[in-house]
Amino acid sequence: METLEARPDPDAILDKIRAQQEKDSGKLKIFFGYAAGVGKTYAMLDDAQEQYRCGKNVLVGYVEPHTRPDTLQFLQGLPALPPRKILYRNIELQEFDLDEALRRRPELILVDELAHTNAEGVRNRKRFQDIEELLNAGIDVYTTVNVQHMESLNDVIEDITKIRVKETVPDYIFERADMIKLVDIEPQELLLRFEEGKIYRPDQAQTAMLNFFSLDNLKLLREIAMRKAADRISNENQNERRLSQKLANTKMLVCIGPSPSSARCIRWTARAADAFHAHWVALYVESIESNYLTEEQQKTIRANMDLAEKLGAEIVTLSGHDIAETVSEYSKLSGITNIVVGKSRNKKTLKNLFELDFEDKLISFLPNIEVYIIPGSTVRRNYKKPRKTLPIKKVNFSWLDFTKTLGLLTAATVLGYGLRRLGIGDQNVIMAYILSVLIISRVTTGHIYGVIASVVSVLTFNFFFTEPYFTFNTIQAGYPITFLIMLLVALITSTMTVRIKTQASLSVQRERRTEVLYEINKKLLITRGLENIVALTNEYIINLFGRSVIFFSVDPEQGEAGSVMQAPEDVDGSLLNSEDEKAVAHWVFLNQKRAGAGTDTLMGAAAFYMPVISQGKVLAVLGISCLKGTLDHNTRLFLRMIASQVAMSLERQRLSDEQRSIIVEAEKEKMRSNLLRAIAHDLRTPLAGILGASSAIRENKNTLDEKTCEKLNGDIQEEAQWLLRMVENLLSVTRINESASKVTKSPEAAEEVIAEAVGRIKKRFPQRKIIVSVPDDLLEVPMDGTLIAQVLINLLENAIKHSTDDSFVEVILKKTGEYALFQVLDHGKGIADEDYPYLFTSYVPNGNKSSDSSRGMGIGLSICMTIIKAHNGTMEAYNRSEGGAVFQFSLPLEGSE
Amino acid sequence: MDIKPMVLVIEDENAICNFITAILNSNGYRVVKSNTGKTGLSMAVSYNPDVILLDLGLPDMDGVEVLKSIREWSKIPVVVVSARGHEREKVEVLDLGADDYIVKPFGTSELLARIRTALRHSPQSMGGELNGTEKITIGDLEIDFAKRLILLNGNMVHVTPVEYKILALLSKNAGKVLTHDYIIKEIWGAYADDSHTLRVNMANIRRKIESNPGFPKYILTEMGVGYRMAEEVN
Repeated sequence: METLEARPDPDAILDKIRAQQEKDSGKLKIFFGYAAGVGKTYAMLDDAQEQYRCGKNVLVGYVEPHTRPDTLQFLQGLPALPPRKILYRNIELQEFDLDEALRRRPELILVDELAHTNAEGVRNRKRFQDIEELLNAGIDVYTTVNVQHMESLNDVIEDITKIRVKETVPDYIFERADMIKLVDIEPQELLLRFEEGKIYRPDQAQTAMLNFFSLDNLKLLREIAMRKAADRISNENQNERRLSQKLANTKMLVCIGPSPSSARCIRWTARAADAFHAHWVALYVESIESNYLTEEQQKTIRANMDLAEKLGAEIVTLSGHDIAETVSEYSKLSGITNIVVGKSRNKKTLKNLFELDFEDKLISFLPNIEVYIIPGSTVRRNYKKPRKTLPIKKVNFSWLDFTKTLGLLTAATVLGYGLRRLGIGDQNVIMAYILSVLIISRVTTGHIYGVIASVVSVLTFNFFFTEPYFTFNTIQAGYPITFLIMLLVALITSTMTVRIKTQASLSVQRERRTEVLYEINKKLLITRGLENIVALTNEYIINLFGRSVIFFSVDPEQGEAGSVMQAPEDVDGSLLNSEDEKAVAHWVFLNQKRAGAGTDTLMGAAAFYMPVISQGKVLAVLGISCLKGTLDHNTRLFLRMIASQVAMSLERQRLSDEQRSIIVEAEKEKMRSNLLRAIAHDLRTPLAGILGASSAIRENKNTLDEKTCEKLNGDIQEEAQWLLRMVENLLSVTRINESASKVTKSPEAAEEVIAEAVGRIKKRFPQRKIIVSVPDDLLEVPMDGTLIAQVLINLLENAIKHSTDDSFVEVILKKTGEYALFQVLDHGKGIADEDYPYLFTSYVPNGNKSSDSSRGMGIGLSICMTIIKAHNGTMEAYNRSEGGAVFQFSLPLEGSE
Repeated sequence: MDIKPMVLVIEDENAICNFITAILNSNGYRVVKSNTGKTGLSMAVSYNPDVILLDLGLPDMDGVEVLKSIREWSKIPVVVVSARGHEREKVEVLDLGADDYIVKPFGTSELLARIRTALRHSPQSMGGELNGTEKITIGDLEIDFAKRLILLNGNMVHVTPVEYKILALLSKNAGKVLTHDYIIKEIWGAYADDSHTLRVNMANIRRKIESNPGFPKYILTEMGVGYRMAEEVN
C-alpha cells in the first residue's frame, strides 16, 4: 500500500516539467485585437510602462514608426532598441534587431506586429520566429496581433472581408502565449476614429482599407476575435482534465491534393482538431496522375503540405491508384475517426457516370467514420484548373509506339482475315482485336495508344469484317451493340493495363525507397559507435541525393566541427564547415527546427539543416548542401525518415554508452567496496597491536623491563609502518583518474624511479641487500613516477617479506622492444600454487585464511595491478626454476602526451 | 656557540608538534610553537628564529600564504612539512623560496638532517663561507672548484662542461633539494624548458660517478621535484 502511495503521480511530474519549461523560456503576452486602431499598441505600451515603474528591465524592441502620436507618448521613458537598417533594393527598411536584443537580454521586450514579414537579409522570414527565439532565450515578450492574421482563420476572414491577408501567424504561437489580452472597442467608435484619421494618416493609401473598415466587417471580425479569445479561455478551463482522454478519442484526417481548395480543408481541419484537441493527419495520395502534375500543381501540393505542417498536422504520403481505397485503408489502420475531404471536382466527366464519387466511395468503405465535405473555394475563381494541359503532357508521341500500334493492329486484321477464311466466326476476330489492344497497351507508354487502338480496332472490324464489307455501314441489327461492347472492352482493357503498369512502376519506386530505408535501418542497427553512424548516414545521403553532406553530432558552438562528406559531383563540401554555416547549425541545435536554404530561417545558408530529434532533444544536425538548388518536398520527407532512423540509432548509441558507463561505474563501485572491506579488516589488526602495545607501556611503566619495553616500541613502529604503507597505497589509487582510470603520464627516467623506490625501502630495511641493475642507456618511460615507485615499493616489500633475511633482492630494468621491463626477483620460497590465481586480486577466496597472511600481499598487489593497467602495461608473476619468485611489469615506451 | 639555535614550529597537529618538540629539544634546539598561521607569522617577527618548520595544512590560512609573507621581509630558512604525493605543491613552495621540504611521516634523523642543512645554508651562516671554498668532498667524490675538476677516489672523472656545471651547482647546495626548473634555469638560462636534456645529463653524470646508477649515493632523486646532492655518504 505504501509503495503505491509513494509512486509519483505522472500528472504531477508533467506539471513539474511544464513548470520547468515555463521557467526556462520567456513568457509571451499577446495583445489581441480585431482590427487596426483598436488600441493594441497603446495597451501594450501602457502595460510596459507599468512594468517599468515596478522596476522590471523593459526594452522596446520594435514599435511601428507609423504609430499614432498619442500612442507614441507612452514610449517616453522606456529604453528602446534602435531598429536595424537594411538596404533592400535601394530602399532603407527598418527591422527589429534580434541579435542586439538577444545580446542585451532584457527581462521584458516589446515587439509590435507579430505577423510582420521581415525584409530579406534578416535571419528569420517572419517576426514570430524572432519572437520564438526571444522566448527560447528566456526573455518575456509583449506583442500585438490582429485576428485576421491567424493562420487557421485566414479563409474565414477572407470570406468576410474579401481581402486576402498574406501575413499570417501559425496558431501555435497563439496557443503558446501565456496571456492573451483582448483589446476591444465598439466598431462604431473605431469607425469614428478611422474617419478622424487617427488610425491611418491621411497620406497613406486607403482604398483597400476603406473596404475593410465597413461596419459589418468590423462587427464580424470583432465576433471572431472574441470567440477566439473565449475559446482559449474555455480550453484553459477544460485542459487539465480532459486533454488526455480526448487525445485518445479523436483523430482527424484531411485529404490534400493539388487543388488550392485543399488549403481551405486544411485550415478547417486545423480549427476542428484544435476544438477537439485532436491529433490530425494530412494525407496525400500519390497516384498515376501525380506523374502528370504540372509544375504549378506540384508547388501547390508542397505549399499545402507546408501549411498543414505549420498548423500542426502529421504529414503522410501514400501511393495507390484508388485514392478512396488508399485513404480508407490508412484510416482503418491508424484509427482515424473523422475524415475531411474537399469537394471541388467537376461532375461532368464521363468517368463519373460509371464511378462512384470519391466521398461516396469513402463512406461506403468506412461506414463508421464521419466524413466532412468542405465545398471548394468560391472566392477565387481566377484559378483555372489546369486540366487541359494534362492530355498534352500525356501524349509524348513517339514513332516507335506509333509503329507498334499500327503493326499490331495490322497483324490483328491479317489474323482476322485468316480466321475468316477458315470460316471461324466473328467473335474470334473480335478476340484478336482485343488481344492486340491489350498488347498495345502493354508495350506502349501512356493511355493514348490504347485508346486509339480501341477505337481503330472497332472501326477496322466494322470496315473489314461486317457486311457490307469495306464500308462503315452495318446491316445486321446486333452490330452496334457488338461495337459498343467491343469498344468498352477494349477501352477498359487498355486502361487497366496501363494502370497496372503505372502502379507497378510506382510501387517499384516506393519499394526502392522502403528498401533503402530498411537497408539504412539494418545497417544502423549493426553499427556501433558515433563515428560509424555518422559515416554511414553521410554515405547514404550522398548516394541517394548526390549532394555533399555535413553531420554535426555536437553543437558547433562547443568548438567541434561537423564531419563533412564530399559528394563527387557537388561543389566543395568544406564550405559547410565555415563559421557562417556553423552558426546556422547552432541555431538548429538551439531552436530544434529546420533552417538554411529553402526554409524560412537563415535562408542565405549554403545548405539545408535538419535537426535529428529524439525525445525532445536535438541529438545531431544534418546539413545537406543546396548549392545545386533547394531540396524538393519528397527529398525532405525522405530525409526526415532517414533522420528519424538516425535519431533512433543515435539514441540507442547514447543509451548503450550510458549503460556501459553504468556497468563500468558499478564494476568500479564493486571494486572499491571490496577494497574497502579488505582494508577495514586489515587496518584493524595493526591498530589493535599499536593500541595494545602502547597501553601496555603506559600502564606498566614500572614493571616492564627495558627489553620488553623496547620490543613493544619496535612492534608499534612496525605496525605503524605497515599502516602507513597501506594508506600510501590507498592514496595512490586516488591518483588514478576516476572516470577513465587513466593516469597523467610524463616521461621519467626509469632508473630514478627505481632509485626512489629502493631508497625508501632501504630506510625501512637497512640491513637487507638490494641489487639494482639498470641498462647503460638512459631509459625514459612515460608514467606517473610516484605511482610506479609505489608499485616497486610494494613489490620490493613483498620480496623482502617472502625471503630470508640474509638473501638478497634484485631489481632489474631492461628494454624489451617497445617496452620497459621492470623485474623484482627474490630468493624465497616462491609463490604457493593455491595463491597463484588470486595473486593480483584483492579478493581472498578463502575467508578463513588469517588476516595476517593476506597482509603481505593481497591489496598491495591488486593496487599494483590497477596502476600498471592504468599505464597500459602488463604485470605478471612466476616462480624461477632456481627458486624464488619474479614479479615483473612492463610499461610502453610510447604514449606520453 | 653557546646559544642554541631557535626553531619555530608552525603546525596545528598537537601530536606531531609534541614529538617534533621532543626531538628538537633533546638535540640542542630551542623550540617555539604556533598552532595557526597568523600567530606563527607574528612569532616569526618577534622571535626571529633561526629556522622555521612550516606545515602546509593550517586551520586559518594556507601554509603557502604564510611562506609568501615570511619571504616578503625575511630570508629565515623555512623547511616545509608536506604530505606525500603532492609534487606540484612541493615544487611550488620551493619556487616560492622555501629552503627544503620534508615529507610526512618522517623519522628523527631525517628531520634533524633537514634542519641542519637549512641552518647551514641560511644567510647568517653562509657569510661567504661556501663561496670561498675551493673544494667539496662528499664520500669519495671531490669537487674542486678552483681547478674545475671532479675526482672520484682521487681519480679524475671526465665530465662535459654542462655536467660540471650541474655537479657544481648541486654540490654547492649539498643536502638541499633543487627543483628541475631551478637547475635548468641555472645551467641553460631563463628560457630553456627541457627536462629531457636534464635527465639525460643526470643519467650520464651518474654513470660516471655512481657505482650503481640504479641506486645512487651522491645525487638523489626527489620524485617529481628535483635532485639533491647527498651531504654525507654512509
